Amino acid sequence: MKKGMTKSENETGGMKGALKPAVRVVIVMLLVTGVAYPLSLVAIGQVVFPFQSNGSLLSVDGKPVGSVLIAQEFASPKFFHPRPAADSASAVDPHITPEDAFSQVTRVSEATGIAENPIRTLIQLNIERGRSENLNAFAPDYVNVLKLNLDLMEQYPEEYAEFESRAQDSR
Amino acid sequence: MVEPIIQLITVIGGTLALAVPFGLYIARLIAYETRPLERTLSRVENGFFRVIGIDKNRQMTWKEYFLALILTNGIVFGFVFFVLLFQDSIPILSNPTREGFTADLAFNTAISFVTNTDLQHYLGDQQLTVFSQMVALTFMMFVAPASGIAAAFAFIRAFIRKNFGLGNFYVDFTRVIITLLLPVAFLSSLLLMFFGVPQTLDSSVDVTTVEGRQQIIVTGPVSSLESIKELGSNGGGYYGANSAHPFENPNGLSNTYEIMLMLVIPVAFPIAYGKLLGAGRGVSILIAMLIGFGFLLAVGNVAESGPGALETRFGSFNSVLFNIASISTNTGAVNSGLIGMAPNAVVSLLLAMFVQAIPGADGTGMMTMMVYVIITLFIVGLMVGKTPEFMSMKISSKDIKLAVFIFLIHPALILIPTALAFTTGNAQALVGNDITPLSYTQVLYEYTSAASNNGSDYFGASANTPFWNWTTGIVMLLGRYVPIALMLAIAGSFTVKDRKELIEPIKTQGGLFIMILLIMTFLLTALTFFPFIAIGPFSM
Repeated sequence: MKKGMTKSENETGGMKGALKPAVRVVIVMLLVTGVAYPLSLVAIGQVVFPFQSNGSLLSVDGKPVGSVLIAQEFASPKFFHPRPAADSASAVDPHITPEDAFSQVTRVSEATGIAENPIRTLIQLNIERGRSENLNAFAPDYVNVLKLNLDLMEQYPEEYAEFESRAQDSR
Repeated sequence: MVEPIIQLITVIGGTLALAVPFGLYIARLIAYETRPLERTLSRVENGFFRVIGIDKNRQMTWKEYFLALILTNGIVFGFVFFVLLFQDSIPILSNPTREGFTADLAFNTAISFVTNTDLQHYLGDQQLTVFSQMVALTFMMFVAPASGIAAAFAFIRAFIRKNFGLGNFYVDFTRVIITLLLPVAFLSSLLLMFFGVPQTLDSSVDVTTVEGRQQIIVTGPVSSLESIKELGSNGGGYYGANSAHPFENPNGLSNTYEIMLMLVIPVAFPIAYGKLLGAGRGVSILIAMLIGFGFLLAVGNVAESGPGALETRFGSFNSVLFNIASISTNTGAVNSGLIGMAPNAVVSLLLAMFVQAIPGADGTGMMTMMVYVIITLFIVGLMVGKTPEFMSMKISSKDIKLAVFIFLIHPALILIPTALAFTTGNAQALVGNDITPLSYTQVLYEYTSAASNNGSDYFGASANTPFWNWTTGIVMLLGRYVPIALMLAIAGSFTVKDRKELIEPIKTQGGLFIMILLIMTFLLTALTFFPFIAIGPFSM
């Protein structure tokens, strides 16, 4: 009993006694949660999910042209345009609503000479892709602007030839 | 086409399905009962206790418990304050474009994260190094909820039986991090990566876009921060846009999972409480929380929010659902701009922060709910002329004073600084001289968020001025530690009380109790805050 009391007095005795475990627990948890935890996840992520871990980058001819999750500026009338940055919460909203996409079809068609119907089909395919990504129930319908534009470039390389070369020149 | 019903059923059903095993596990942690894999777990824990240098069997008084909590939090605050101040001089995982924080911003940020608030007067993706995001912020995101959960453990132990003991802060803190938060956060990070959240040490990638422009895409160890951000009621984003940023919340599935992650521990607490102190009592508190949550959700969805300041992949329902789950758990993450929320949704968010207990943050939500229970028992006791009792223990006048003080400090911490901000002109400097219901709401919201350790706000980095940094910092500090100290004092009072094996004069379970508790909670809150909601969001 007496021995136990001395021990407890030691532990609580003064600020110094109380500080010691506090400092130690902070150092230990810092190493575990601030260093080991994120680093081990980086190591696993790079091996198991390399695409997502590095920012979900899409490539054309082996060169990254952007992230599927981050909006990029499209100014040419040949492309579908994302929302103006100020309209969304993130300012990099990679998606537009189907209505927004369909409203841009005429412009894209006139600028490229591609008929409207195949463009509409591509939009529809993109909507379907979004739906299945969200198990058909967990998100409203949307269109990924970069994916849609890359689909167009892939299917109509001649109409978009200028952009393939531009992307390569600036490398 | 969103399917709100499927979405809602998944969130509520999924949360409850997860919360049951979580609650039973938490009950075992509170009562030191054998857990699955007990041998391995206790061997690991004992290793930690040896390194930390504590005797795991030594019980603490409520004062010792609080002292250990405040010392640990204080040291973490000091460490992070200096990391942020000098982040430009730290050579590891550095970034030459990131300056050290000013003293007031470093104070605000370090207080904000250590108090589980995560109010952010800076843009993480533009102002922090990878080192700061990882070693300072991710680390604090474990410390803050573990402290709140540990305090709730001590609080609940006070009611188990006389002289059961409140426990040892270091034991609880370690066990919560190592055997609860860390493994769940780890697995959740992997799932979030699968959904598309990045996890790399590179702070950015440069690409040449399709049209030939240069684009800098900010990456980093986002996933490891994101999971504990939601699980730990933290809410501070890696990016300034928080969970609206596609890298923090890439699609509908990640959105749904993040909502469940925010809700699971707060909802698990009444289950743990029921396991230890009577299933009926636990289920009653759980139902009260769910009804309260349903009420908030109904108010929030009266009118549609957006589409401005909302993300296309979420739309109105998923945005309102996420934000209400987040703000009612005092996580404070948002997946849209608050400016895009309809006035009715803003009312719902403010109500959630005024009450702080439907279901509230990890640990502190449950404690706050029990404070409401004590106040309810006292008022109902007065009405029917019976001595208020809880768990066959007399509620003394000192307990009531402490409970009422906990209730009253909240409006004081919100309304006094709000008035101060307007009278000193600092509010006008931010929202303009023409004070509208919206601009008034924004200021009221800022201090409500700070006082309830929530962290969501309208201002973001625009409030990075000395006045806003210092005042919200102080409000967060008091809003966190004063209630915890008083709650532990209540625990200290109850743990030594005699239990009489009598029938409770006022039952603390069943339909009638649930109704009275809810009416009391909303009535007290409404009486306190109604005038301020009336001139704020009601007039928007």
